[in-house]
Order: sequence, then structure tokens, then C-alpha cells
Amino acid sequence: MSAGANGSDVSTGRVRALGTPAVRTQGLWKVYEHDGIRVEAVRDVSLTIEQGEFVVLAGPSGSGKTTLLNVVGGLTRPSDGKVWIDGTDITALSERELARLRLEKLGFVFQAYNLLPVLTALENAEFTLLLRDVPPEERRERVEKLFERIGMTGLEDRRPGKLSGGQQQRVAVARAVVAEPSLVLADEPTANLDTATSTSLIDLMAELNREFGTTFVFATHDTRLMERARRVIRLVDGAIVDDTRRA
Amino acid sequence: MSSRRRIRLRLALRNLSRQKRRSALSGSAMLLAMALLVFSRAIADGGHEEWIDAGVRMGDGHVSVQAPEYRTRRSLEYRLSPDVRAAVQDALRAPAISNRVVASAPRLTVQGLASSSQAALPVAVMGVDPELERSFSRLDEKLEEGRWLKPDDRLQAYVGARLASRLKLKEGSRFVLTAQDASGEITGQMVRVAGTFRSGIPEMDEGLLQIPLATAQEWLGVPGSVTSEAILLRDSRDTRPALRDLRSALAGWSDDAAVLGWRESMPELNAALRMDDWADYVFHLVLFVIAATAIVNTILMSVMYRTREFGVLRALGLERGEVGRVVFIEGMILTAISGVVGMALGAAVVWGFFRNGLDFSALWDMELEAAGVVIDPVIIPAFHWNQILLSLISILAIGSLSSVYPAWRATRIDVAEAMKFEE
Repeated sequence: MSAGANGSDVSTGRVRALGTPAVRTQGLWKVYEHDGIRVEAVRDVSLTIEQGEFVVLAGPSGSGKTTLLNVVGGLTRPSDGKVWIDGTDITALSERELARLRLEKLGFVFQAYNLLPVLTALENAEFTLLLRDVPPEERRERVEKLFERIGMTGLEDRRPGKLSGGQQQRVAVARAVVAEPSLVLADEPTANLDTATSTSLIDLMAELNREFGTTFVFATHDTRLMERARRVIRLVDGAIVDDTRRA
Repeated sequence: MSSRRRIRLRLALRNLSRQKRRSALSGSAMLLAMALLVFSRAIADGGHEEWIDAGVRMGDGHVSVQAPEYRTRRSLEYRLSPDVRAAVQDALRAPAISNRVVASAPRLTVQGLASSSQAALPVAVMGVDPELERSFSRLDEKLEEGRWLKPDDRLQAYVGARLASRLKLKEGSRFVLTAQDASGEITGQMVRVAGTFRSGIPEMDEGLLQIPLATAQEWLGVPGSVTSEAILLRDSRDTRPALRDLRSALAGWSDDAAVLGWRESMPELNAALRMDDWADYVFHLVLFVIAATAIVNTILMSVMYRTREFGVLRALGLERGEVGRVVFIEGMILTAISGVVGMALGAAVVWGFFRNGLDFSALWDMELEAAGVVIDPVIIPAFHWNQILLSLISILAIGSLSSVYPAWRATRIDVAEAMKFEE
């Protein structure tokens, strides 16, 4: 397992899974230009995240955490460099292939929950299964199990507007993991939640990470989440300045 | 239906029901446009049908059979012989034609001079079969003084009121008709005024008189002959098939008989109707623009409002085109529902309130005449389903075209940027 800033790899900590890394980036840049002003949101980032890791991207606002997460998730194209997800170079994929890869390999959790307001909690959670043509019985079974696990049983038919922030984020996590993706990318998942709700949500994601070996990568300011992470990558001005692993 | 299709449809339907007020506002614009379209089409079609009916009754019918040169020469030399007339009657009895025909009327028309003790004026003298003519032109209903012709009348005339007035004729007055007979000789016929009529059409009231057909044939030396056989159909839309069938049936008589439709025999009426149609088309275009604007506005607003949502859909694995299709389906559903409801509403309003006629007499209190036809101020709406279906198809086409741009905009959304979007 290795990570590095300015193109250099730094190896620390233990390896949970061997084989193809969940994420690998090489010389990654993301540059925005607005009205002649150049902003380097991600600067020459090379890192490797192995399967089953529970990683936090930390750093102050504007340090490039969300941008890096978006580039890794194929939501935005890098200005330069390469990204491999499960060994696939996503920078070489077409829009359609990228959409297929997001569906099959990635799960997303957003700060603002981003549930689809017109669907019920259950329909939101099973959304990616629907897109993958999973049969209805299997869909229901998987979502019901997950809902029981996250304490959402009985709230299946509620629309997001009728759920609390914590409940919405639980549904969002369920949506992200229900299809058993190899990688979950979570952008400030606890930012809008109170302490108790945040803690229970972090517990939930840590459990899912342990049980299913799902790789989690968070962009966060939340110190509780950083404390639970086994690896913290610090970013400043778009570049990795520190990569620490804990036993 | 695949899961992905079901999702797209579900998202589209739920989004429409989620933004109820916006959907209702836009739908109502579309609905109103469709209802107005149906209403105006029913009034226009009803008005045109009445217009055509009045025109063909006073004129040569929906279809007329004449000698080929009669239309341009208007001379007795070009007439239908008894043999040709018999062939026409045979053709009219054929089932394909007879079930479209309401009435037929033989007419022998010549230009002549009407002379009274006070004046002499040029006239069109029309020999008619009183019984057949009565159900055809309904000129007997325009009686002003006296009576309509009877089957056993011989020397009676039914005279335009203004003509009678200018000749100082009253009921029972005698006057002389002079015209060129079949051999080219000038010949006269004394007749007596049975009654006068006022049709509202100046040309008829000032220059037409009718006498019994047998009298006209005997006077002009053309026994059994007529200048035209006028045929009235059940519906003006039957004209084309009736023309086709009659022409085919009389193909063996093409040197002696020409079959004309009302558009050929009454070109002024045809032109007036076409002008009116074009005015309607302009009105419809305005309605379409209003409907299209409503749809574009609603769907586009909805796309802008839901930028983050579309971003999420893309992040979760929906392709660009699929997001666009969700938006397009929304536009189509909105259009289809409001189009069908608008059609039903328009039809219900027309049927519920105006099925016995829409009275415009308050707008004009005198007789209105155009293209040789008196326009009845009471218009009875007509539903021509092909026209209504065409309107519905047009509205659906407008709806789908109007949904293309918002759908395209939805496909252009940048996923990462969309996540920053505040709803």
C-alpha cells in the first residue's frame, strides 16, 4: 500500500487485501480556469488505496479533497494524469463506460444526502439495483436486510422530505453499499449531522468495511471520522502533504 | 419494459406530480390551447359546412353534370340530351353513389330578357322541377309574396323580389320572357308571377326567375333536355369519392357530359373558404406557439431547479441520454394528458353549450353575403374527427419538439458542478 505527494510514493501501515488496488492515481492534476484565473485544485497527486481500506482525505476547505474525490469517482475528468479503479484506467473511458463503471464499482455518499426526492426511502436505497436489473425479490430482500441493519425498518415508504437528516444519510449509505461496490466515496458524510447520529453512522460504515471488505474513502473535516480511519491522507492546496496509517 | 425504462418513467411521472402547481399551470396552458383548437375547428368546420351547403344548394350542387362546354359558353347549344340524362340517373342509382346523394335537380338555364309594361331587364331564366327543386335549393323558404311553384303549374314564375320590384310586378302580374331557343331564334314566352323570393344574394334577387322545367323545355324547343343535373350530397367531404365514382360511371359519355365538383363550379366560394382556412391556420399557429412556450418554460424551469438531482442520477450510473429521456418523457406526458383532456374539454364545451348552434346575430344584424352565399349567423359546430385527430397530433408534435431543448440541457449538466448546486 502506498501513497505519495509530488509523484513520490510513501508506504506505511498494513495491507488488508492484496492484488489490484481499489484506487491508483498517477500524476493527477485538476486545473480550473475562470476569467483568466488559474486554480490548481489537485496538484500532481499519486496515491494507491488497496482493497478494503478505510481512508480519510483530510485538509482545510479548498484543499482539493472534494475535487480529488470527484476525479477518482469519474464525476469530473482530470486535467492531467491517470486514475485506475480496480485496475481500469477510467481516464480512457467514454462517458457511457464511465457511467457503467460508476454503477458497477462505485458507491457515493454526499454531504447533502442527495436522495431523489420523488422516490421513497426504499426506492432510493434500491435505485442502483434497479439500474442493474436485479430481480424485484432479490432487491427487496437486500434492501430490507440493510434497512434492518441501519435501523430504518418501518420507514421504507417515507419520502426523503419526511425523514430526519440522520435517517436520510443512512438511506444514502444504504444506496451506496446495497449493490456491494468495491469502493465507496463519501464527501463530508457527517457534516450535517449531530454528534450521536454521526457516531452511529461512522460505526455503521466501519462495520460494513469490516464485514464486506468494502473500501471507503472519505473527504472530511470530522475529527471523529479521522480518529476511526486507519489511514489519513492530508491535502493542502491540492497536494498530499502527509499520509499516515494506524494499526 | 426493462428496469431502466421503468425508472425513467417513474421518475418522470413522480416529478410531474411533485411539481403539481407548475405542471398544472403548464398543462392548463396546453389544455386551453387544445380546447380552443377543438372549439375553433368545430366552429370553422361547422361554418364552412353551412357555407358550402348554402352555396351548393343555390348553385350547382356538390357535384353537377353538364355538357363539357357549358361552363364557359353558357349556351343552350351545350346541353344534356335525354340519353345523357338517363345515363346520369342510372349512375346515381348505383349503390356506391346513391348512398351519398341526398337530392338531385335538373335545371335548364338560359340568359334572356324579362319585359313588363314598365321595363325590360336581363335575367337568368331557370327551368326547374318544382318538387325536386324545393328539396334542393329551398328557395321556396325565401318566399316574400305569393307562393312557390306547383308541379302542375305551366305558365307561372317564381321571381327575385328586387327584379319584380324593378319590373313593377306583383303576384299574378303577367310579363314576357325572351331568349334564344335551341335553333338560335329569338323566342318569347308569356308567364305570370306566382310568387317572389328574397334570398339575400343580390345577383339572385335582381336577376333570377324560375319557371317549370317542362314549360322551359317546350318554349326553348329542347324537350327532355337540361343544361345541368345538380347533385346534392350528404356531406361536402363526400364530394371527392362521389366525383370519382360518377366520372367513372359516365366515362362512356365523356364527349357529352362533364362531372364538376363544387370547387370547380363555384371557384369564388372555394377561394373564400381557403382564405378562411388560412386565417384559422394563423390562429392555430398562435395557439401552438403559446402551448410550446408553456411547455419549454415549465420543463426548462424544472431542469434548472433539479440540476443537483440530475447530477445525482448521473453519479449513480444513469447515462447522459437517459437523463435527457427522463425530461423528454415528462414533456410528452404533460403534453399527452393536457392534449387529450383539452380535446375532451373543447368537445364537451362545444357539445354542451353550442350543439344547437352558436348565434352570431348580435354581431351583425343584417344579412351577410360572401362569395355568392348568404352566411347564416347561427353556426352549428361540426366535429370532423380527422381534423381533431390532426390537431391532437400537432399538439403532441409541438410538445415533443418543445421538450427536446430542455432534455438536451439536462444531458449537458456537469455532474461535479451539479453537486454544488443549491436547490
